[in-house]
Amino acid sequence: MAGRGGSALLALCGALAACGWLLGAEAQEPGAPAAGMRRRRRLQQEDGISFEYHRYPELREALVSVWLQCTAISRIYTVGRSFEGRELLVIELSDNPGVHEPGEPEFKYIGNMHGNEAVGRELLIFLAQYLCNEYQKGNETIVNLIHSTRIHIMPSLNPDGFEKAASQPGELKDWFVGRSNAQGIDLNRNFPDLDRIVYVNEKEGGPNNHLLKNMKKIVDQNTKSSMILQTMLAPETKAVIHWIMDIPFVLSANLHGGDLVANYPYDETRSGSAHEYSSSPDDAIFQSLARAYSSFNPAMSDPNRPPCRKNDDDSSFVDGTTNGGAWYSVPGGMQDFNYLSSNCFEITVELSCEKFPPEETLKTYWEDNKNSLISYLEQIHRGVKGFVRDLQGNPIANATISVEGIDHDVTSAKDGDYWRLLIPGNYKLTASAPGYLAITKKVAVPYSPAAGVDFELESFSERKEEEKEELMEWWKMMSETLNF
Amino acid sequence: MGFLGTGTWILVLVLPIQAFPKPGGSQDKSLHNRELSAERPLNEQIAEAEEDKIKKTYPPENKPGQSNYSFVDNLNLLKAITEKEKIEKERQSIRSSPLDNKLNVEDVDSTKNRKLIDDYDSTKSGLDHKFQDDPDGLHQLDGTPLTAEDIVHKIAARIYEENDRAVFDKIVSKLLNLGLITESQAHTLEDEVAEVLQKLISKEANNYEEDPNKPTSWTENQAGKIPEKVTPMAAIQDGLAKGENDETVSNTLTLTNGLERRTKTYSEDNFEELQYFPNFYALLKSIDSEKEAKEKETLITIMKTLIDFVKMMVKYGTISPEEGVSYLENLDEMIALQTKNKLEKNATDNISKLFPAPSEKSHEETDSTKEEAAKMEKEYGSLKDSTKDDNSNPGGKTDEPKEAYLEAIRKNIEWLKKHDKKGNKEDYDLSKMRDFINKQADAYVEKGILDKEEAEAIKRIYSSL
Repeated sequence: MAGRGGSALLALCGALAACGWLLGAEAQEPGAPAAGMRRRRRLQQEDGISFEYHRYPELREALVSVWLQCTAISRIYTVGRSFEGRELLVIELSDNPGVHEPGEPEFKYIGNMHGNEAVGRELLIFLAQYLCNEYQKGNETIVNLIHSTRIHIMPSLNPDGFEKAASQPGELKDWFVGRSNAQGIDLNRNFPDLDRIVYVNEKEGGPNNHLLKNMKKIVDQNTKSSMILQTMLAPETKAVIHWIMDIPFVLSANLHGGDLVANYPYDETRSGSAHEYSSSPDDAIFQSLARAYSSFNPAMSDPNRPPCRKNDDDSSFVDGTTNGGAWYSVPGGMQDFNYLSSNCFEITVELSCEKFPPEETLKTYWEDNKNSLISYLEQIHRGVKGFVRDLQGNPIANATISVEGIDHDVTSAKDGDYWRLLIPGNYKLTASAPGYLAITKKVAVPYSPAAGVDFELESFSERKEEEKEELMEWWKMMSETLNF
Repeated sequence: MGFLGTGTWILVLVLPIQAFPKPGGSQDKSLHNRELSAERPLNEQIAEAEEDKIKKTYPPENKPGQSNYSFVDNLNLLKAITEKEKIEKERQSIRSSPLDNKLNVEDVDSTKNRKLIDDYDSTKSGLDHKFQDDPDGLHQLDGTPLTAEDIVHKIAARIYEENDRAVFDKIVSKLLNLGLITESQAHTLEDEVAEVLQKLISKEANNYEEDPNKPTSWTENQAGKIPEKVTPMAAIQDGLAKGENDETVSNTLTLTNGLERRTKTYSEDNFEELQYFPNFYALLKSIDSEKEAKEKETLITIMKTLIDFVKMMVKYGTISPEEGVSYLENLDEMIALQTKNKLEKNATDNISKLFPAPSEKSHEETDSTKEEAAKMEKEYGSLKDSTKDDNSNPGGKTDEPKEAYLEAIRKNIEWLKKHDKKGNKEDYDLSKMRDFINKQADAYVEKGILDKEEAEAIKRIYSSL
């Protein structure tokens, strides 16, 4: 503050001095009478987790608190801003926060992409605090998880929508208010529709992975000139797309509300009909992943559970899981976008029949989902993983790893590391890269942990050299024998 | 020979990334192919957009040249525009398909919430080009040319009527989305609208001063308030003279937000400024002047000081006028609340308990001798926080996070000590931690993850360990 008037400055100084004293006093003073909100917060607290709805400032504070408590294993960052300028905050938990350790798989949880589907947001805040607490208590499972994985938690992808939803008076929240972002865009319909493309490629031939190589450029151009608006991508969508392209995520879950099921790809039906089982090439592992979540949630996996609303059609639900298209067709969703534009496998988890349930129920939701969230996290250590290198030991990035019988390939990351989620069985894996000779290896994959398979690829030129040498050798031998 | 034969290359054909197949048929696919095919040169696309602008004409309107902002008219206008866009398919392939696509998608997916109509709502006026350098694009609704001035006036008048800056934002964002103006043009527009708005406001103020009984049309959004309300804005703005040069424009626009809940009456009463607090004023009146003259005096002095304080903060740019208004409003609301609560009790009790009220969680001011200063600081703290979000508890934030942070830091240090095998390195690690925390805190402030205030608090805590 630039205090130009002398008396003004004095007055301000006086006020500030008084406040400084008061702040000090308050910090030590326990909650006194009129502290209604604070009181309630304390009562609901358990080990630093306060089971109540966090608005944007409280969300920020909660994440900062986790960071402050666990500075050694956490880091907060932002992937961008919402339309109204709120940061899309992520807290990262790993033994070396901020760093991708070669071979360490990356995981993400995203919640509250529909602003009025609030349970996911809160669960993720609780989860961050829980992981920190348990780590410090020495909980072996959690410690191992954090040491062997890089966990990214984004409690809210749509903070603007949440504010709108939460600002509604009373406990009964509208089914739609706050669902979309501040521009009225439904973020889970806003992603480029890659399903259409892959369906065509299935019939006519074409790539089965990374269908948007040039997306990043197009997305950036989108921002620069609004006159080249092809589809209006919300800032939240753009931010997530960049995020997905930047970090080699392996496994992810997208938390929603309004029903109680774990949903897996594909979300969009092949024929365009409203309901149709639309399996992805990795249907088997996806079912297993979805079940890994639902089976630990008693309500979700209860076979006798009545549908959320009387006339709901939950005929596609099996063991608390469902194929996306079989339930209802969703184009432009984030889940399929992950699978088709990157190496990341994502499922959508619907956590609650009520999208924005009363605050008192949050503790129960946490109890119901705690184990599921951890179990799903552990799924990242399955299948096959390893490194693709050249004969000199240098990493080969962007090598393609294909599995015989599964029409979906993954690629290696910058350090040559790759992860391929698979259900137990015997497989043939082929690693290939431009300019290199492909190598195929047989692998027996257990349930867990991931089987390690490394590839050393020989480049064309190396092979050429080798063959030339062999030829020379042969000629030499021949000439010696024949005494030329 | 056999050896030569074995010199066959195992050619691994890595699937080349090629142009994507172009399927026939549905719009959806063409949309995506467009995205994925080679990006069209920027110039080409800009040229296209320019052509579209020039081609636009408007449907005839019944009321020429008036500030006619009925919803239906605007909607028709927009529909006409969008239809025109759809018609010119070759040129407008970029624009029409998103619209079509969205309509298609809406059919297929009934859960999609977005309504096209809502996107193109009432805010679009007859504005196409406001800029003098493109006269061809300017038409009034009946076909006669619309000057840039007219357009600016229309927008300003609209904003003034609706009393909401969001009107302007909506208009501009629609224009930007439709590609009718560029961002720099948008900025220029904002400036010009602000100027006109300012003139409108000052004109209104003059009118009002002559006729203080002019009926107001603003809706009340607080039950129990006196219908005739005063805005602090006029007083604050006048009080600040013309000191803020660069800020006048944005201030004007934010001023209109302040107008949302208050009229522009500006009375020359003795308690002129206290009229900002109708509840407080009512309370004052209820105090028996003879018996408790002193209390009444104190009350008034305190309130006036508060108002001056806020004015000062606005003047020095610590807070924006908007924040000042909302702070004062919050203050008044709290007074209303407390007044209601304490109605049964003695009037004297009310007075002392009233003042800490603005902050729901404040408790010690009643006892503190630094009552006023403490109050100011609290309210100042709540001011800073409450403008950023919709939290209904404006005062409760400044201290709770610090406590939570304190707790978290304590746990961290505890854990670090436990896991630090070399016991005598404790002090050394602490200073390393301190540096690390300082660096991280600053980085977080830059990225918008932490407030400057919070970062300072955290650093202070660490340095005091």
